[in-house]
Amino acid sequence: MSRKKVSVWSDNRFWQRSATWVTGFASLLLIWLTFDTMGQISMGNQKDIDNHVVKRVPSATVINYKVEYNMNNHRGHEVPVIGGDDGKGNSLFKVKEKFFGRDDYSQKEADALLHLGKLASQAKNCMDCHTLLGNGAYYAPDLTKAWLDPAWGKNGPMQAMTGKSTKEEAMAEFLQHPGKYPTHARMMPNLGITPKEAVGLVAFLKHMATIDTNGFPRGFGKIKEGVVYAKTK
Amino acid sequence: MIETFTDINYSFFGLLNQGPLTLSLFLHLLVVLPMFWIYFQEKKRLESEN
Repeated sequence: MSRKKVSVWSDNRFWQRSATWVTGFASLLLIWLTFDTMGQISMGNQKDIDNHVVKRVPSATVINYKVEYNMNNHRGHEVPVIGGDDGKGNSLFKVKEKFFGRDDYSQKEADALLHLGKLASQAKNCMDCHTLLGNGAYYAPDLTKAWLDPAWGKNGPMQAMTGKSTKEEAMAEFLQHPGKYPTHARMMPNLGITPKEAVGLVAFLKHMATIDTNGFPRGFGKIKEGVVYAKTK
Repeated sequence: MIETFTDINYSFFGLLNQGPLTLSLFLHLLVVLPMFWIYFQEKKRLESEN
């Protein structure tokens, strides 16, 4: 029997079945990915910290701990290190750090503070200019790891400029009166942030810096040339 | 092409995403390969119909 020449490419059924397969597969894939992601981004709690369980999104109570961004050789990039480094870029969950004079925020208090910060960041529309975890604009600096920015550290210019002696106080002061502290050609407008909101926002920023973003942004805070240091007397 | 898995949470997609384009190549293979099967099935059907 000789085979007839047929055109599968111009056959309707071939395309119908292909489209059904691709659409169906893509839908199932998206549903699977959604559940896969939900497991990965679920927020931890203080028990995880007590048990030294590393979560991608740690408990809000990390505001009680010292936060660094160090190289982890196993992971091959920098990771948020909470409460001290074991020397290999792993969190020890031990070293505390005062946050507005306290390092004993309870789960409830820390959650409430973070919630206030999140609401304030949405109400003031930070993302209009800034980027948070990859979402937003690049008109103003990326805030994902803002807490770790050396400009706010002991040797950075921001504490001297705002006249505050801690990172969190300097940030809160700047957020309330951005017009007073010209840091950028693109100056931040005064958004009417209240002192309470400012504390919440700084807690929100500190917590965001502890979220494991698989090393993004790479080498953050290590490019010292990118920071204009205040001249000390 | 596929390196040691180092991400915090173990994930099937994370495992496939350890090298350049590995996740993309895998998913495209999954989408395209069954289309060959559909193609030959339809070809057979058309040949037997005519």
